Amino acid sequence: MQPYLQMVFSSLTLISVYTLATMGVVLIFKTSFTTNFAQGSIAALGCYIAARVALSLQVSIWMATLIAVFIAFLIGIFIDFVIFRQGKNVNALGKQIITMGLVLMILGIIPTVFGSLTIQIDRFFTGTLDFALFGMTFTVTKHALFCFALATLILTAIFLALKFTKWGLGVRATASNEKVAQMMGINTKVITAMSWAIAAGLGTVAAIMYGSGQDLNPSFMGGVQVNAFLACILGGLSTFYGPIVGAVLIPVFSNIFRYNFSAWADVIVYALILIVILIKPLGIFGKKIAKKV
Amino acid sequence: MKNTTLENNLYLPKTGAQKFKAVILNPYGHFLLFGVLMFIVLLLRMSGLVQYSFVSALGNTMIYSMVALGFCLLLGYSGLASLGTAGFMGLGAYVTAYFVSDLGLPYLLVFAIAAAASILVGVVVGFISLRIEGIYLAIITLGLSEILVNVFKAAESFTGGSSGKGLLGLEFFGIRVSQEMGFVMVTVVLVLLMSLTLNIINSPTGRAMLAMKNSTSAAQAMGISLLKYRLLAFVLATLYAGIGGIMYMTFVQYSKPEIWSIALSLNVLSAIIIGGSRSIWGTLAGTLIIFGINTMFLQNIEFFRTNPNFIYIFTGLLIILVVMFFQGGLAQLFVMLKLFIKKKIRQFKEYRYGEENVE
Repeated sequence: MQPYLQMVFSSLTLISVYTLATMGVVLIFKTSFTTNFAQGSIAALGCYIAARVALSLQVSIWMATLIAVFIAFLIGIFIDFVIFRQGKNVNALGKQIITMGLVLMILGIIPTVFGSLTIQIDRFFTGTLDFALFGMTFTVTKHALFCFALATLILTAIFLALKFTKWGLGVRATASNEKVAQMMGINTKVITAMSWAIAAGLGTVAAIMYGSGQDLNPSFMGGVQVNAFLACILGGLSTFYGPIVGAVLIPVFSNIFRYNFSAWADVIVYALILIVILIKPLGIFGKKIAKKV
Repeated sequence: MKNTTLENNLYLPKTGAQKFKAVILNPYGHFLLFGVLMFIVLLLRMSGLVQYSFVSALGNTMIYSMVALGFCLLLGYSGLASLGTAGFMGLGAYVTAYFVSDLGLPYLLVFAIAAAASILVGVVVGFISLRIEGIYLAIITLGLSEILVNVFKAAESFTGGSSGKGLLGLEFFGIRVSQEMGFVMVTVVLVLLMSLTLNIINSPTGRAMLAMKNSTSAAQAMGISLLKYRLLAFVLATLYAGIGGIMYMTFVQYSKPEIWSIALSLNVLSAIIIGGSRSIWGTLAGTLIIFGINTMFLQNIEFFRTNPNFIYIFTGLLIILVVMFFQGGLAQLFVMLKLFIKKKIRQFKEYRYGEENVE
């Protein structure tokens, strides 16, 4: 029992990273109706900004994170404004291709702006913590605990905002039906811009959590992004909380299987996701929207 | 009903000029011409006029074009999205490598086996597509591709794991396959696939797929079996991707699991969107832009050689601009150009000969 629970605790960092990244993907999907393939790249860009700021301005990791998130907000708004606002006639597939173009551009921009030397970013906390639970001892890094706490805080804030603020209401309305939301007087342009900004910020925090303590390269968020998409599918894109549940399940099961099957763990997890989707085609929490022909 | 004999058929070419036009405009002739052009490039290379890297890049572009053609059938004509292209290519490549290197089977047999494996996977994906739709399907195919890549990494005895697998001792009818020979084979296969694609597009099958894309309900009402054509679309697309993988192994003769990443799938998707998802030449042009221009042309420009990252920025920007302003891709651009030229010619004729003399 102990190894499995230990696996859960070891996954805390990954859970935090995946849930934040998935939330970003979900927000953009619900408001701009496109899968954002550039989520990982924008996140990586934010992480690079944080690392460079920490290095050049000699500030602590906390300050660097805040600055990077702020800049990421601006980048998100910029992307929405310049690209998606201008491309009014682009259909859904076209928007996805635009995000792919963004991936390539950022892939080129990062080495150009930051140089090709490897760069690193510090963890929030170092050291581990041992504690006892149910008579068994577990080890957790403080970094993981903090990431988990931070992710929970951010996600709770977003869900509260979605439920109780005007912005949240606007997001839910736009997600439900954009044209009608516009007719009802909701400023969908602001909603979309803010969603992009928040998604960029979420990605940046996720990237900082994921990339700390290792060498960064421009595509290091690639794996996270794929798993974020899978989490969206698993949880179902009809709700906001579905993908988050998916984002928690994937790393936990992946680590649990890794304990027994090591190399084949990922294959098993993906195969299980496939089976779940075959049983429930719209995700675990998906709701079928009937359309009149 | 009047019987239409050959003499009465109004559409057959009669005059010499019409016959000449018919031959020149024959699309299959164009494909053959393309193949001949590639041979000429190879000859130039062998005589030293063209660099090796150019030919290598051209070969790679042709291989990705094959995959893109399959994707063109899937997305442009059937309206189904799949992001699993990279994994399917990898499957073709690794099956080829294993059966040739480890088991020493003859090339044509291995080709058939790898093609059969691709068809099998295509059938599986096709059945999945009946249950799942839209964005969910696209990401599930992405998941499938990731499963395949992880299998490539894990099944070390078959695939050499992360250190990759090379192709040793490949022979075709007793002739050792070199780079030049591989290039010839790639060209032949590409021309064949282009002709096959054109046949499919202009056949009742192609029209059924188009009907399915525009409205599944209307297509079913017209008696088109969704099951049959969805399966067919996925089988074709996966087969093309598998063949692309086989030819990749034949030409490049080496493969690593990391090559078959989502980035590759996305690049193929971008290629057909840029080129125009319903046009064969457009697909080729799009693939050239995404995969070819970098190594074939830009490397010769000093600026891009010292700043390779600008190539990414350039390509990414190009993709964004084309999608924003030329939704039909390069094919649409080409059609617009053709109409523009025709209009100008007509205006010139009207000016020269008077309006009443122009047909």
